Amino acid sequence: MAFTSNLEVTNGIARITLVGELDAAVAPQFRAQVEEAARSQARRLVIFMQDLSYMASAGLRALAFAKQKMGSDVDIYMIGAQESIQETLRMTGFHHSVILLDSYDAAQIEAI
Amino acid sequence: MDEQNAMKSLVVPGDLDALATIRRYVQAAAEQASLEKQQAYRLGLAVDELATNIVTHGYADSAAAGTIEVQATIDARTLKITLEDTAHPFDPTQQDTPADLDMPLDERGIGGLGIFLALNGIDDFTYERVDNRNRNTLVVYRPASEVSP
Repeated sequence: MAFTSNLEVTNGIARITLVGELDAAVAPQFRAQVEEAARSQARRLVIFMQDLSYMASAGLRALAFAKQKMGSDVDIYMIGAQESIQETLRMTGFHHSVILLDSYDAAQIEAI
Repeated sequence: MDEQNAMKSLVVPGDLDALATIRRYVQAAAEQASLEKQQAYRLGLAVDELATNIVTHGYADSAAAGTIEVQATIDARTLKITLEDTAHPFDPTQQDTPADLDMPLDERGIGGLGIFLALNGIDDFTYERVDNRNRNTLVVYRPASEVSP
């Protein structure tokens, strides 16, 4: 499945929806949207990953870039990450720095 | 099955656009070897990370463009994937393991993660320099139920 990355920013919450396979060839698209989200001064970054079937370390580097660019007080939520991708996050310690949720939780994410 | 079954090898240009083609080849080999889903994913990730490294460090650092040759071989117990390239010598086993994996993301380095994931996602790995080529060999043990008595 071709990779797509879509960004929406509303009420200070940046939402990126990732679909397909995220490898080094397409990671710059994701990274560009992370930069745009950072420019929007969003207070939260929510990444929808239900339809992301693959993520290489290039995706991890874009996530680390997000954390560094947006500031450590901006929480990053990952919604619906598949088991294999969660394993990659755990192996590399990224699960310490992002919040993994099975589904979108408005009460938690949209609370100020 | 006692003898080795070598799939037709795949030769692709050493650029990032070839990564998806390599993943499809590895996926087909994993299916043929009846790997479990998680094993197949880890192997696909390992090959993808090593190939990415060949493209972004091996060939990007040298003036000459090159190819990557991928070869899958299945025997009774294992699926073996070799990756060969003509870039300068690079031994992934000599890379330092990232030391700060449990640090917060905004306080840690993020280099070396690809090789770390590659070497930790498979059962065996060897690197050789043969005839001015790098040869990376990745081995995954097939599920026991598939092994003939």
